[in-house]
Amino acid sequence: MASEGASIESKEWTLDPETEYRFELDPGTSLAVKLIRGHAEVFGAELAANKPYLFGSECKAAIFTWRGCIIEVTGQPSTEYVSEETPMAAYANLHIAFEQMRVRALRNLRGSPVPEYEREKSSDPPRVLVLGPENSGKTTVCKLLINYAVRAGQGWSPLLINTDPAEGGWAAPGALSAAPVHTPLPTCSPGNPLGAAATSAPTALSSNALLPLAYWYGHAESKRNPLLMERIIRNIGENINDKYQVDLQGRTAGLIVDTPSSFASGPGSSDERQRLIKACVDAFKINVILVVGHEKLNVEMQRTYASRLTVVKIPKSGGVVELDHLYRERVHNYQLHTYMYGQIIPPPPGISSASLGGETLSDLVLSPSSTIINFDDLSIFRIGAETMAPSSALPIGAARAVSETQAVPIDPAQPGSGLLNAVLAVLAPPVNTDESERYDEEILDLPISGFIIVTNLDIPHRKMTILAPNQGSVVGRTAVIGSFEWQE
Amino acid sequence: MYSQQQYGPPPSFQQPSYGSYPSYYQPPPPPPVPVYQPDPVTFRRDYSNQLAELKVNSRPIIQNLSMIAQEFARFSEIVAQCLESHIRRVPQWMKLPAFYLLDAISKNVYEPYARNFAAFVVPLFLETYSQVDESTRSKMEEMLITWRTGSPAGKELFGVPAQMAIERGVWGDGASSSPANSFYSGSGQITKTQVLTELEFTLNQKERALQGNLYDTTLQTHISVLHQLRKLVEAGVSQEELQQILTQLRSLVRSVASTPTPAPPPPPPVAPSVSWPPPQQSSYPVQQPAFPPAPAPTYPSFPTYDNVKTETPPSVLPSASAAASGSSAAQNSILSLLSTIKKVVGENGTPLGAGASSREDVKLEPPPPDLERESSRSYRDAILMHDVKLSSTDIIRKRPDVVEFLYDRLAAQCKQCGIRFPDTVFGKKRMEDHLDMHFKQNRKANQNIGRGHSRSWFVGVEDWVHDVSVDVKGKGREAGVRPMNAKAAAAAEVAKRDADLRAQYVVVPRGEEANPVACPICKEQFKSEFLDDEEEWVWRNAVLKDERVYHATCHAEAANGLALRLRSELAANLRSHSNTPEAASMGSVVAARAGGVSTPPPSGLKISDTLRSVSLSPSPESKLVGTKRKVDDTDHSVSDEAEGTPRLKKMALTAADSMPQ
Repeated sequence: MASEGASIESKEWTLDPETEYRFELDPGTSLAVKLIRGHAEVFGAELAANKPYLFGSECKAAIFTWRGCIIEVTGQPSTEYVSEETPMAAYANLHIAFEQMRVRALRNLRGSPVPEYEREKSSDPPRVLVLGPENSGKTTVCKLLINYAVRAGQGWSPLLINTDPAEGGWAAPGALSAAPVHTPLPTCSPGNPLGAAATSAPTALSSNALLPLAYWYGHAESKRNPLLMERIIRNIGENINDKYQVDLQGRTAGLIVDTPSSFASGPGSSDERQRLIKACVDAFKINVILVVGHEKLNVEMQRTYASRLTVVKIPKSGGVVELDHLYRERVHNYQLHTYMYGQIIPPPPGISSASLGGETLSDLVLSPSSTIINFDDLSIFRIGAETMAPSSALPIGAARAVSETQAVPIDPAQPGSGLLNAVLAVLAPPVNTDESERYDEEILDLPISGFIIVTNLDIPHRKMTILAPNQGSVVGRTAVIGSFEWQE
Repeated sequence: MYSQQQYGPPPSFQQPSYGSYPSYYQPPPPPPVPVYQPDPVTFRRDYSNQLAELKVNSRPIIQNLSMIAQEFARFSEIVAQCLESHIRRVPQWMKLPAFYLLDAISKNVYEPYARNFAAFVVPLFLETYSQVDESTRSKMEEMLITWRTGSPAGKELFGVPAQMAIERGVWGDGASSSPANSFYSGSGQITKTQVLTELEFTLNQKERALQGNLYDTTLQTHISVLHQLRKLVEAGVSQEELQQILTQLRSLVRSVASTPTPAPPPPPPVAPSVSWPPPQQSSYPVQQPAFPPAPAPTYPSFPTYDNVKTETPPSVLPSASAAASGSSAAQNSILSLLSTIKKVVGENGTPLGAGASSREDVKLEPPPPDLERESSRSYRDAILMHDVKLSSTDIIRKRPDVVEFLYDRLAAQCKQCGIRFPDTVFGKKRMEDHLDMHFKQNRKANQNIGRGHSRSWFVGVEDWVHDVSVDVKGKGREAGVRPMNAKAAAAAEVAKRDADLRAQYVVVPRGEEANPVACPICKEQFKSEFLDDEEEWVWRNAVLKDERVYHATCHAEAANGLALRLRSELAANLRSHSNTPEAASMGSVVAARAGGVSTPPPSGLKISDTLRSVSLSPSPESKLVGTKRKVDDTDHSVSDEAEGTPRLKKMALTAADSMPQ
């Protein structure tokens, strides 16, 4: 193997079949991995040979190989080791089982003959809800299953739905979103764990130009406003149903739902959790629940749902890393930075140029737009009160001054509006322009067009500076504030 | 008559949409993006080795080799040397594919290759031409014709002298006596062979286009007219007539070339793809022009808009009507043929964005169903053989061979991104498409450097719901027939209204034919054309209001919100820097969104004009790259079009401002 230069630290790792090379990165460092021989994949996305793949922004990932490979690693991860114990075989079995459901669904759609022994099998495509406690690798399981599905060579484009507001998916943290996936989702940074939403740049991979449907929840924790959360989940579900009406073949690829860990456990009341899980099961017509490594939750789910759907407990990967609160904060920053400025990973020394899965790096760099607008140009709302005690904590008989789903207008001129540095979701314009068709809570049911950040407030002149992802005007739009703030 | 600035055909590989980008975003020359750093010796060896594999006309190989050439432009001399010695060395049946590679590199990368190749292309071409058989010769002639306009600026690919020298060598010395700069501009000697070649070429283009669109009556008319023309020429016509035919033919081709093709490509024909991959198939299956802008232009089968000729029509050229004064019957019949062509082209030449795309929607034929079904059937059988139950115990215990499905059955792998395709006829075709997509993206990426990209707004609910699971990027899934009848009907309705608007015309005032006149709203110049029925030169898609001529569509758009939708749809089809990369394929979807945006905002929300957005200099603190762009004033609103939904509102305002009310 020709080395890239003399002083560069790169190391070759020879991986045995069904092992994986795991690494963790410190802030500000990056890593390049090049596949020299054999086959390797990162969470289900296959690496092309001899292309350096970059990882950054404290990425923690694993390069897995089914049949062995040699990789060349450049850069200095804070932790790196090879593990022989992976749950990949179990995940592969899941994939096969889901593929069986997909091909049956497609056969049914096309009206192809069904052999005798297959008669009693359901022709429902897999619609999977993934549950699990914190740090169990739920998102990784979702990503892996999606990647395997799109790699099947059958043209599947399953829907990936993210209901974890702390994760953000393709949007910013605080959003719940859903997108059809056509090509494997790359892993390079926690800034965009599930691929990226579309930009004006040409991209080679459609997983870097996803078209998500996103709704604004606005907070990292599901317990902050479960009522709103439930409503958003049902909204996404309805839109998926509409989509499936239009796209019968797309329906056969099924869907996979990633969930927040608060669905599985946590301080919130069990009723609330159950309610949100039920909202998912109903909204997405779930027929398989995967519980990642959590015995008690598995039993609980079996008890509640075993009569109507399949509940499967799946092993958790030993590679998952315990993540603390501060890390999650930083990840939120990476995500917002990635949303505005694109995916920027400075390559480690010695790598002059690299690709992010076949993508030209310079095309992943984005230029947001900073604009001064008048206070009146944007109508800003908050959903519910700024601080909200759980309903159960209210005195008996007391009603809230502001209900959880009430849109409260915010006057930027008022001191303490909380707007400075706030992340605002700009809502899509209402589809229904007929005044009589409109309703008070419509604002809750509008999807997000994008996000803006208030970077300066000039109260005397009634103007504010906003950072927007592109030059499109936001004048006349409606924006909703959440509890996220961001400063560059 | 044709306004050169607007409608001078773009270099054949470019999408029409690039042209309209404001000049202040001129991208700097793209830096090479090397992946590995070979030394010249290694590179020469590697490139020669890969070149040696180019034995047949294989698109993947040609594409791969030209991508390498693009990546290593600094080794352009080595590439040129390898290619030249390859062509000289190989047996004559292997020469044409190598010429296609030369052609692809020069056109698609251009700088510095065209310069390098120009040094040897004349002797190489002529030498090869003298060695090869008749059918190869005609393919080389076709290629030669495209070289006339092959440079990015629409000029001779290898410069005028080289082009002339080759053409003189190919078509005889009839031309050599004429002044250099008018060699093929219409005033020199023209041989019958030359006219016939160009006729043949145009005919081929049309017939291929027809294959993709069997019901296009306009195309059918074209073809029959061209056939008649060919008979006439073969029968023998005078030099002057030859000249006229040639000139008209070229402007015809050019006007076709300047016609933006509608976004959705015609579906692949059934038969050719079944026979893939016959290695000796000389014209590889570009009959499915799924990737118009990619390297296809030069290979024997051209997408329709690849033009032959971009020379400015010489001023000495007698206009069609003037020449018609000739009394010879033959001449009249030619001229009437030509004006028939003109007329037909005129109708077709008007971009029918909405109409065209919706027509495609409706008519989109499914891919060869047998192949796709066959492939999914065998996959189904294989996958159902495995006995995996969805239970906690079963998934841990069993070990099915998932590798079979993720790797073994998918033997063909894209070297760029690692995506795999089944090693079947169907899978190969998809891999071809996929490679084309990469090639196109690489091209675009290099052209776009420095332009600045930004995150698009997310799509609205309607768009999201109706964006069916066709893989818009990788064409991973064939765009089959989908239950979109309601939408298709709506699109057809929109298309009809648009067509009605475009059918309107204004007669060009006498003496004004030569003066460029622009629409006050969109600032684009009118294209004049000869209307046979009226025997007048007219501007199509034009209305006269208050002594000023407007595009009918622009005027209607300014007047009501309906046409706004049409135009936006058109814009989405025509402009490549559309807000989402998918925009082109979502033509009608975009229209739906436009409808949503253009409607008045709810009364609860205040709308104010866009002028209030004040400029702000880029703040220097953004260390992590990403130049913030300024939002200046409404003059830039046109450039904002790329940025997302609000552009429509801006356009409406701009339009309204310039209305003389």
